[in-house]
Amino acid sequence: MQVQELVSIVPWNFVATICNLFIQMYLIKRFLFKPINEILEKRRAKADAEIQEAVQAREEANAIKSEYEQNMLDAKNKANEILVSAQKTASIQSEEILKDAASQAAAIKAKAESDIAQERRKAVNEIKGEIGGMAVEIAGKVIEREISEADHAKLIDDFIANVGEES
Amino acid sequence: MELDIRGARILFTIPIDIPILGPVKISETMVVSWIVMLLITGLCIWLTRGLKVENISKKQAVAEMLVETAENFVVGNMGENFRYMIPFIAALFSTSVVSNLISLVGLRSPTADLSVEAAWAVVVFIMITAQKIKTGGFGGYLKGFTTPIAIMTPFNILSELATPVSMACRHFGNILSGVVINGLIYGALAAASSALFGLLPGILGDVLSKIPFLDVGVPAILSIYFDWFSGIMQAFIFCMLTVMYIANAAEEG
Repeated sequence: MQVQELVSIVPWNFVATICNLFIQMYLIKRFLFKPINEILEKRRAKADAEIQEAVQAREEANAIKSEYEQNMLDAKNKANEILVSAQKTASIQSEEILKDAASQAAAIKAKAESDIAQERRKAVNEIKGEIGGMAVEIAGKVIEREISEADHAKLIDDFIANVGEES
Repeated sequence: MELDIRGARILFTIPIDIPILGPVKISETMVVSWIVMLLITGLCIWLTRGLKVENISKKQAVAEMLVETAENFVVGNMGENFRYMIPFIAALFSTSVVSNLISLVGLRSPTADLSVEAAWAVVVFIMITAQKIKTGGFGGYLKGFTTPIAIMTPFNILSELATPVSMACRHFGNILSGVVINGLIYGALAAASSALFGLLPGILGDVLSKIPFLDVGVPAILSIYFDWFSGIMQAFIFCMLTVMYIANAAEEG
């Protein structure tokens, strides 16, 4: 069997090695780098998508939270408004009630006063008549003489006037 | 006892005379390199079978690690612009490593043939030169030989040519030395074994002295350096030099 020199460059081996190197390069590229890079790319894309989803979910949660807070704030404001308006209405009503009560009381008082005054007038008139008659009788008895009707009335009136002032 | 260390055998010759190259000679080197290629490609196909995006197998983790290591090696040393070099460097490294280590199963390493390293070195040299011309233009490339002064031109040309020669010879020398030393050790241990058991009396000594007992185990320890360490180291050095030379060629000019 033929044997190559131990240290020699054999043209056929040289050419074959160059071809082999480039064929090997293609094979490694095709069977190792291509599938692995594809799978790495897929994984990267998936991770990116998941991060994207998480970010979106967080944004949604934040939106919901701020909406909820806004709603709470609105509700509080509304409650305050209702409270304030209720207080205002209540105070207005109470004032009105008080005013009504006061005016009613005043009316009652005025009516009572006028009644009293009328009663007094009536009583005075009655007493005036009685006292007039009594006075005439007494006077007639005392002086024993007839006084003219005009003097008579004048005396009575003076007397009553005096009574009214003193009473 | 005779020790014979020779070059690769020529298994058969196809008698077609092709100009310059001569008749097609199918040598041991070629056949073993095809085995090496089959091994590497088979490994690639096996590693990338049943790839998954999630919950990956150990096999896939190894494949991904290999790819990422190759990428980091090339991109880390050469930069992002040289991503297209990744498969070439990976092919160079894997072919070199497997070729160096295939001697462990008794086959003759293709890398123990200078033609192989010479071919690689020439390819790399052409790549370096192409990169230099691409960076500095053809004029810039020629002008590069006259730096720092014109008188240095012959030395620059020499050093330029020394690049592929040194790369090829470094790799070849290391692997060949491994082959030679392994051959010597096997021979020496066989002789020692024969001498040792020949001391035994009678027929027993005659039979046992024919069996090289010391050849079992002892060379394995030495092969840790000469085959494993040296084989992987030389592949790494060859690729590192390739990467460095091309990266330098891209920076200059």
